[in-house]
Amino acid sequence: MHVPLRATGGLVATAAVLTTLSACSAPGTASDGADTRRLVLADAYEPEPFNPVGGHGETGSSKVYDGLVRLGGGTGLPELEPALATELPRDDGTATTWTVPLRDGVRFSDGSTFDAADVVATYSAVLDPASASPIAGNYAMIDRVEAVDERTVAFRLAYPYAPFPTKLLLGIAPSEALETPGPAEESALNTAPIGTGPFLLSERRGDRTVYTANPDHWGGEPEVRELVVVYVPDDNTRAQRMAAGEFDGTTLPPLIADTMADAEGLTVVGHPSADHRSVSLPAGDPVTGDPAIRLALNSAVDREAMVTDILGGHGTPSYTPVPAVFGDSHDPDAAFRHDPDAARARLGAAGWVPGDDGIRVRDGVRAEFTLMYFPEETLRRDLAQAFASDALAVGIEVDLAAVARPEFRPRIPVDAGLLGGGDVPYDPDTQLYAALHSSYTRPGVGGPFDNPGDLADPAVDAALDAARRSTDPATRAAAYRTVQQRFVANPPAVQLVFLEHVYVLADGDWAGTEPVLEPHAHGVSWGPWWNLRDWRYTG
Amino acid sequence: MTAAPPALRRDPAPAASPGTRATPAPRPSRRRAAARMAVRRLAFAVPVVLGVAVGVFALAAASPFDPLAGYLGDRYLTASQDVQDRIADELGTDRPWYLHLLGWLGDLLTGDLGTSRSFGQPVVSVVAERLPWTMLLVGVALVLAVVLALVLGSWAAARRGGWVDRVVTPLCLLLQGTPPFVVALGAVAVFGVGLSWLPVAGLTDAGAALSAGQVATHLVLPATVLALSQLPWLLLSVRQSLLGSLAEDHVTGARSRGLAERTVVLRHALPTALLPFVTVLGTRLAELVVGAVLVEEVFSWPGLAQAVVTSATELDFPLLAVLTLLTTVAVLLGSLLADVATVLLDPRVRADG
Amino acid sequence: MADRDLRLPLGVGVLVLLVAYATLVPWVAGVDDRVTDFSAARLAPSPGHPFGTDSAGRDLFVRTAAGLRVSLLIAVVCAALSTVLGAVVGAVSAAAGGWVDRLVMRLVDGINAVPHLLLGIVLVALFRGSLVAIVASIALTHWTQVARIVRAEVLSLRDRPHVDAAVLGGASRWRVVHRHLLPAALPQALVAAVLLLPHAVWHESTLSFLGLGLPPHRPSLGTLLEEARSSLLLGGWWTLLFPALSLVLTTLAVAAVGSGVRQRISAPRRGATLR
Repeated sequence: MHVPLRATGGLVATAAVLTTLSACSAPGTASDGADTRRLVLADAYEPEPFNPVGGHGETGSSKVYDGLVRLGGGTGLPELEPALATELPRDDGTATTWTVPLRDGVRFSDGSTFDAADVVATYSAVLDPASASPIAGNYAMIDRVEAVDERTVAFRLAYPYAPFPTKLLLGIAPSEALETPGPAEESALNTAPIGTGPFLLSERRGDRTVYTANPDHWGGEPEVRELVVVYVPDDNTRAQRMAAGEFDGTTLPPLIADTMADAEGLTVVGHPSADHRSVSLPAGDPVTGDPAIRLALNSAVDREAMVTDILGGHGTPSYTPVPAVFGDSHDPDAAFRHDPDAARARLGAAGWVPGDDGIRVRDGVRAEFTLMYFPEETLRRDLAQAFASDALAVGIEVDLAAVARPEFRPRIPVDAGLLGGGDVPYDPDTQLYAALHSSYTRPGVGGPFDNPGDLADPAVDAALDAARRSTDPATRAAAYRTVQQRFVANPPAVQLVFLEHVYVLADGDWAGTEPVLEPHAHGVSWGPWWNLRDWRYTG
Repeated sequence: MTAAPPALRRDPAPAASPGTRATPAPRPSRRRAAARMAVRRLAFAVPVVLGVAVGVFALAAASPFDPLAGYLGDRYLTASQDVQDRIADELGTDRPWYLHLLGWLGDLLTGDLGTSRSFGQPVVSVVAERLPWTMLLVGVALVLAVVLALVLGSWAAARRGGWVDRVVTPLCLLLQGTPPFVVALGAVAVFGVGLSWLPVAGLTDAGAALSAGQVATHLVLPATVLALSQLPWLLLSVRQSLLGSLAEDHVTGARSRGLAERTVVLRHALPTALLPFVTVLGTRLAELVVGAVLVEEVFSWPGLAQAVVTSATELDFPLLAVLTLLTTVAVLLGSLLADVATVLLDPRVRADG
Repeated sequence: MADRDLRLPLGVGVLVLLVAYATLVPWVAGVDDRVTDFSAARLAPSPGHPFGTDSAGRDLFVRTAAGLRVSLLIAVVCAALSTVLGAVVGAVSAAAGGWVDRLVMRLVDGINAVPHLLLGIVLVALFRGSLVAIVASIALTHWTQVARIVRAEVLSLRDRPHVDAAVLGGASRWRVVHRHLLPAALPQALVAAVLLLPHAVWHESTLSFLGLGLPPHRPSLGTLLEEARSSLLLGGWWTLLFPALSLVLTTLAVAAVGSGVRQRISAPRRGATLR
């Protein structure tokens, strides 16, 4: 009896369109015959260089490296479980020093032994300016890393940081490979990774990357013996090849994925994510900086329609950057109602009156602003168009501008932008602090994407700081609820939607898939394949 | 009356390709003349290539483009300014463009082309990995287009107004009006989505081992589309020049001697007609490369042309610069070959120019 | 091809229809293309929407017209710019002769040696989303053909009696070019300009298709076709068919007009040499 992918964690009802299909349907050419222990996946992105110092697997998605901790599955906020650590890190009571005991007897793929020196070398390399590591900023709280002994490391932080354990998802590379300081971009690890992870990189040719199970993995050799990831950037091509049975799975835009929901032998799965889309509103602009306009836009946009028509139901409306998955830290009452009439009334009361062409004017200023989006992303294009259409309905003109990444960034303080968020979602702190804390409005602090709406609310600052410094869950949750209430009272942005990342799987003889909260990044490193190490063969 | 000139021909005077001029001249040694011309043309290629390099670097410097974006990817948007400054300093992306160019040219001489940021590999290995696949695609398409053009073009001319002529010639005019990417999309829609006859993407089925059979089936659609994109120009040129030479005296003479029509066409008319064809072939090479960019993009063919689009959209400057130069060199060499062939073929062409 | 004489009137007729469609339809329909309705996305052709709707629920009959208008406008500007540039360079080169001529012809060869689309891709990639960059990338790569044609025409005219007379009469070289040669070469230059149009339309649509040209929310034939790629999978064949059809028709009509006109201009001389 073949069991089609069993979801042990119980997939969220809205998340999964599970078509339980009968057993022996042909799973497609990719997994026929002798290749039953192999999976062939198609990804929309080229594999990034395999160097943890360059940012590979920062959120714990690496197949070839292990972090000190790793994610556990489930529909809620993922629990961290020890990986190269033997237990979860403990702090000194002030959240400024964190001590981590390390696993014994672990070997890197080159045969060398894993010890504290490797952890120190990896984190030091990330922080070393000579590495030019693009993720250095995410580890800015670390003052120094010390090897207490061969099997223990201590992280000393520059300031108290309660969610520090989430920073231990970073993959660990051997100290020998990091000996010579130099740009991460030029490291040999980029193409020849040396890790302790469940898989080994065995081939990287053209559009395909092949991993084989690591027989010496400390957690046991994975039952998935070979993983082939093919790079197919074009959504349409990927969909055709998936439908033709070439792949065991891939990631697809929601609407296209849903066309396969009824196909025999295919299953469409949605994973929750903290990945959100929002419209930033520059504070310096007389239109986007106006509190009445900001509130009116928030009631003018029809988030439900965006979820239904643009995301095909694969998502949820977003009112603040905090998704419901954060549990007690999420305030369900911090929300907006879709009410264009209320928006019009509010604008009228604030002195914005319709001009000849229907666009509102106040003191000679037209209610008009530019909204930037990335041209290559159809989702952002569609959301931007829908937003502009909704705004027009209440008398605010939004001029769309397709702006490529290099130009986008410097224009953030000037023009509204359709932003994505939720890069490191495993704690409300990383989801909120840089986005809303007023210290990021000062010139030179952070980047332009930090607090783009220049929110400066002492109550928000105080709550964010209190939550970061406290290790008491109740205190932290209360503080984050305060932040959300302040956010909807005086919104610095228009949050639009939380996305559900959508994947298509060919049915096969595997068990062990489990949903997990995904970060902004997605692709086949995530999806049903994030925990490939735990999949069990049932054929 | 002769056939209409191909409607969209790039060069309305087919014989006026660079370096050749159709004037009667003595022919002391055609081969030596061809060699002299080749040397001169190669000497001409150097400033062209240098000019392109200078142009690309100067443009890059004048553009709002920030090379860091290619390195940082999505993180470019979130990394703070001092992190960026530090990385820019480490990577040396903040030097003035001419220093950048000089450094790059120096590196070029030592064979170190830098690192492609969008592929995370040295540029050399990106090129080495992808060039063969592009050569295969372009080569097969070129052979296919040439064979089809010669066969169908001669047929259409020899049996002027016959059914082949009446079918092929209007089809060619239609194809001339259809951009390659539309042909490619149509092929995908019909053969991929509609009929599911042929694979529409990639080099092999996913996960399948690299084998000749796999590559061959995956090559069918892209190579055919690429061949079709160039076919009308080649075919109409064969047809037109063959019609011209069929009217020439020596052909009329051959015919009046009672030779079979087949012999007249193939032995007497076609050789003369081949010359303009080779010239047109030379001028179409650049378009063939352009077609390859589009075909590789639509069919996800992992060749260099696809890398051109990737490096352009991701502003992967080191790769983009190398690919631009490489393409220029390839096209220069191709047209040189075509011209050498013309000189060797035709006694009347003088190799100065 | 017995009906060659029909090509010119047929081409002109189709072109007039297309231009009328492109200019009048968006204007008459009066649809605000900023208004989207994603719940009406990808509706099949029906009496209400003869071409169906696009991925944002906009009427494709109107949007294709708007796209055609943008593409044609860009193409006309590009063709005009390349023609002016090419005519000036070609005439000057031919009139000056000597090393200037050789240098210019080498420059022309050099530019022709580089695939035009590639130059376009580089230029547009570096100046992303800029309309000036799109126009420049087309105009700067397409003037060489006009330059060659005009140069050849001027060279052949230089030996005509009235030009000789002007030179003998003491007219300066530039005056000869300006008064006698350039006007005579003008018809050929105009034909070249017409023949450039479809190239420019192709070039723009190709760049936009590759995601390097016009922004995706702006209608042009290229952006519409790029959008059609994903709509195709969702069953929206009409999103590919109608924009593609108008692109192909435009190209063919313009080509017919161009070659028809050229035939008429050069008919006497050509007839003499070929018969």
